[in-house]
Amino acid sequence: MHRRRVLGLGAAALTAVLLPARAQVASDPRSVLTNWYKLSLQLVRHTATYSPPVASRAFGYLGVTGYEAVAACDEGMTSLAGQLNGLTTLPRAGDGVHDAAAVLQAALSATVAHFFSNTGPSGQRALATMTRKLDAQVAQGLAPEVLRQSVGLGQAIAAHIIDWADVDGGAVVENMGFAQSYRPPADPSAWVPTSLIRQQQAPLLPDWGRVRPFAMPAGNTCALPPPPVYSEDPTSDFYAEAMEVYTATKALTDEQALIARFWSDDPMLSSTPPGHWIFVANDLISRHNLPLTVSVDMMARLGIGMADAFIGCWHDKTEYNLLRPVTYINRVIDKDWKPLLITPPFAEYPSGHSTVSAAAATVLTGVLGEAFAYEDFTHEREGLDARSYASFWQAADEAGISRLYGGIHFRSAIEQGMEQGRCIGAHAVSLRTLA
Amino acid sequence: MIRALVLILLAAPAAAQTVPQFVEETTPAGLEHSFAGEWEYMVGGGVAAFDCNGDTLPDLALAGGTAPAALFLNQSARGGALAFTAVVSGIEMEGVTGTYPIDIDSDGITDLVLLRVGENVVMRGLGNCRFERANEDWGFDGGDAWSTAFAAMWEAGASLPTLAIGNYINQREEAYPWGSCTENWLHRPDGGGYGAPVALTPSHCALSMLFTDWNGSGRKSLRVSNDREYYEGGQEQMWHLEPGQPPRLYTEAEGWKRLRIWGMGIASTDLDADGYPEFYLTSMADNKLQRLVATGPDATPDYGDIAWARGVTAHRPFMGDDLRPSTGWHAQFADVNNDARADLFVAKGNVWEMPDFAMADPNNLLLQGADGVFVESAGTAGVASTLAARGAAVVDMNADGALDLVVVNRNGPAQIWRNAGVAGNWLKVALEQPGPNPTGIGAWVEVRTKDHLQRHETTSGGGHVSGIWGPQHFGLGDADRAEVRVIWPDGQVSDWAEVAANTVATISP
Repeated sequence: MHRRRVLGLGAAALTAVLLPARAQVASDPRSVLTNWYKLSLQLVRHTATYSPPVASRAFGYLGVTGYEAVAACDEGMTSLAGQLNGLTTLPRAGDGVHDAAAVLQAALSATVAHFFSNTGPSGQRALATMTRKLDAQVAQGLAPEVLRQSVGLGQAIAAHIIDWADVDGGAVVENMGFAQSYRPPADPSAWVPTSLIRQQQAPLLPDWGRVRPFAMPAGNTCALPPPPVYSEDPTSDFYAEAMEVYTATKALTDEQALIARFWSDDPMLSSTPPGHWIFVANDLISRHNLPLTVSVDMMARLGIGMADAFIGCWHDKTEYNLLRPVTYINRVIDKDWKPLLITPPFAEYPSGHSTVSAAAATVLTGVLGEAFAYEDFTHEREGLDARSYASFWQAADEAGISRLYGGIHFRSAIEQGMEQGRCIGAHAVSLRTLA
Repeated sequence: MIRALVLILLAAPAAAQTVPQFVEETTPAGLEHSFAGEWEYMVGGGVAAFDCNGDTLPDLALAGGTAPAALFLNQSARGGALAFTAVVSGIEMEGVTGTYPIDIDSDGITDLVLLRVGENVVMRGLGNCRFERANEDWGFDGGDAWSTAFAAMWEAGASLPTLAIGNYINQREEAYPWGSCTENWLHRPDGGGYGAPVALTPSHCALSMLFTDWNGSGRKSLRVSNDREYYEGGQEQMWHLEPGQPPRLYTEAEGWKRLRIWGMGIASTDLDADGYPEFYLTSMADNKLQRLVATGPDATPDYGDIAWARGVTAHRPFMGDDLRPSTGWHAQFADVNNDARADLFVAKGNVWEMPDFAMADPNNLLLQGADGVFVESAGTAGVASTLAARGAAVVDMNADGALDLVVVNRNGPAQIWRNAGVAGNWLKVALEQPGPNPTGIGAWVEVRTKDHLQRHETTSGGGHVSGIWGPQHFGLGDADRAEVRVIWPDGQVSDWAEVAANTVATISP
C-alpha cells in the first residue's frame, strides 16, 4: 500500500486540484506537494511579515516537511535528522499501512497553516479551502484505518518540524521585520535609510544572521572578505564601482531594464527572490514529470540552501553595514539620480538576490544537471513573458547582474554574493537523501 | 499666474491652532446602526451625508453589509445636541457596501448610488427622504460584482453625470482570490439614459476613485486607488477622459510613475493653493501625501510623497501600546478648528484579525499648523476610537459652523461626534447653476481672507465608499469677511464676491 516512487504520470496528473476539473490521479502525492507550494507562494506575497529572509525560512521548513513525510513511508530514503542542525529523529511509518499522499497532505497542511498563521482573511480562507479539498482528494479510495494512520503520521511529523522551527531564533517577527530604531554610525560608508517610508528608517531583520542555519554550521560559515574600502576619490575602486552603476543605469537597454524588472521580486508585491526559485522548481516538477522522491528531495535542498543563504548573507550585511548606491551616487556623483528599482531597506553588501540565486543554482544543478534548459514563468500572471535559460547558472548570473541594472547593488556585492551562495549551497548539496 | 499669487497669499492666518473638542453622542443621538458581514464585507462600510428633506441639515444614509442599509433623519437642534431618527426611505436593502449622494437627474432632489456586493442600485430621490429604484428608468446596468469605489462628474454638454464604479475581488473566488480583480465600469450617458458600461481595463481592485482636474487644465481625469493585496501586475492608476473618446490610461511615457500600495481611500485638496490639488492616499503602514514634482502648463503626473515632511504618514497608532502598523481607510480634508487651514481625518481599523497590524488602531485627526505640518490631535480632540473604522464623513450636522463627525465601523456600532465648538469663523459655499450639474461638481471654489487663499475642488467620489452632498465648508480664522469666487466646470470664472463670515453663501454663474 505504500506509494513509492510514483512514476509515469503525465503532467496533467499534477494539475492543481483547485483549477477547473481535468483528468488526474486523485491522490498523487505530487499534486499535494505542488498545490501547497503554489498556495505558499501566494501566502508569501500576501502576508506582511514575509520579507525574503522570512520567506526563505518557511520554504526551508516546508521542504524538510515534504521530504520527511515521503521518507517516512520509504525505507530507501535517508532522513535529514542528524544532518540538519538541531533536527532529531522523526516519526516513521513503522509496521502500519500508510498512504504517502495522505501523510504528505497531513504534514504539509499543518506546517503551512503554522508558518502562515498570521496571514490575512483571504489567506486564511484559501488555507481552509485548500485543506478541505486536498483532504477529500487523498481520502478517496483509502480504507479508513489507513487514512487515520497516515494522517496521524503526517501530523506527528509536522508537530516535530514545528517544535524544531520554533526555537531557531527566526520564529518571531515584529513590526514587519523592521528594527524599532536605528542610528547610523558616523562612518560615511555606513548604511543610511533610503526611503521616505517611516517604517523603513531602521534596517530589516538586523539579527537574521544569528538565526540557526539548516545545513551549514553557522551564519559565518561562508563569510566574505570586506567590500572595497569606502572612498570618494574618483581614482578609488569604490568610486569606480559606483560610477559603473551610475553609467549603466543611465544607458540601460530595454533588455537590461526588463531583466532588472524580471528579477525585482519585491516583497509584498511578489513571492520574493526565494519564492521566485521555488516557483521555478515547483513548475519543473509538473512540466518534467519528476518522480516524487526527486521532487521532495529537490524542494528540501532548495529550501535549505536558500534559507541558509539568507542567514549567511544577512550575517555579512550586518557585519559590513555598507551604504546603498543611491546614497553614494546622490552624495558624490549626481544628487538627482534615482535607481530603476526600489532600493531595499537594509545594508548593501553582499547582494541577497545574488547569494540566494547562486545557492539555488548550486542545488538545482546538483539535482537536475549542468545543462538543464528551462523556461521561467514566474511573472507570467503579472504580464511579464517567460524567459528561457540554458542552465540554472545562466539564470542565477542574470539575477545577480539585474541588481546592478536596477541600481541597487555594486558589482562587488553581486560577485561576492554569488561566491557566498555557491559555498552555502554546497552544504545543501552534500546532504544524504536518496542514497 | 496662480503660482505667482501663492507667494503672496500663502501667509498663514493670525489665529493660533486650537484643538477642537468633540463629544461622542452616538447613543443619545439615536444613531444605532452597524455595518456587518464576513469576508465579502471586510472592505466597504460607507456613509452618505446629504439633506434629503430640505431643512439644510445633512441626513445620513449608512451601508449595512449583511444588514439592511438605513437612512437616519437629522433632527438636531441648530447648535445643539445631535439627534437622528431612523426612517423608512426605500434604501433598506442588504449587500450595500457604500453610499454616495448625487443629483443624477438634476431635479434638485438628491439621489443615491448604492454600491453593493451584487447589483448596484441607483435610487432616485423623491423628496421628503423617500427613494425609489431607478436602474431601469435611467438605463443603468447595476451589474453583479463586489463594488467598492465610486466617482462622478458631468462631461461637457451631458445631461447626466458620468459614473465610475470600482470593483474589487471576484466574490465567488474562494481559493485564489489574488489576481481575481474584476472590471471597473464607466457609465456614460447615452441619449436620455446610460449606455452599456465601458470596462476600465486593466482593473486592479479599486477601493477609491476620484475625478479631478489634477493639472489645472480644466479637464477631468479619473484617479483610481487600488489594493495591491489582490492585483497582479497592477498599480495606482489615472485615466484620461476626453469628450467622446474612450478612456485611456496615463502612461509612463506621459510621466506617470508606478506606485503600488494597499490603496483604500483618496482625499484631495489644494493644500498650498498653487492651483494643483494634493492627494492623500490611505494604505497600510505609511499613507501617502502626493504633490506634483513640477507644476506649470507642461506638468506631468509625476508625484512626490510629502507625507513624512507634512506629518501625515499616520503609519502606526499614535497612542496605546500597540506598535504594529496601522490600516487606513476613509480620508477627508476638512477644517475642523476653523483656522482657515485644511485638517485631515483618517479612519483606521484592522482589516479582519490581521495580527501583523494594529488591532487597537485609533482614528487620526491631524491638525494643520501654520507651517503646513500636521499634528496628531485625535486623542485630545476625543475622536480616537479604536473600533474597526471604514467610511466616514466630516460634516456640520447641527448647522453651527463647526464640523462634526460620523464614522462607520465594521461589525461594530457606527459612531457620531458633535464638535463642541471652536473659536474661528467659518463660511459655507453653496453652488447653484441652471440645467445639468446643478451644484457645480467639478468647480473650484476659492476663498480669500486678507492675504490667505484657500482652494478646493468640488468633487463627487473618493474617500472610502462615503460621500457628502452639500455646501463646502471653509474656516476663516478671525476674519469676519471673506471673498469668494468660483471657477466653474465650463471654465467660466466668477468675480470675487465679498461675503460675511458665519453664513452660507450661494454662488451662481
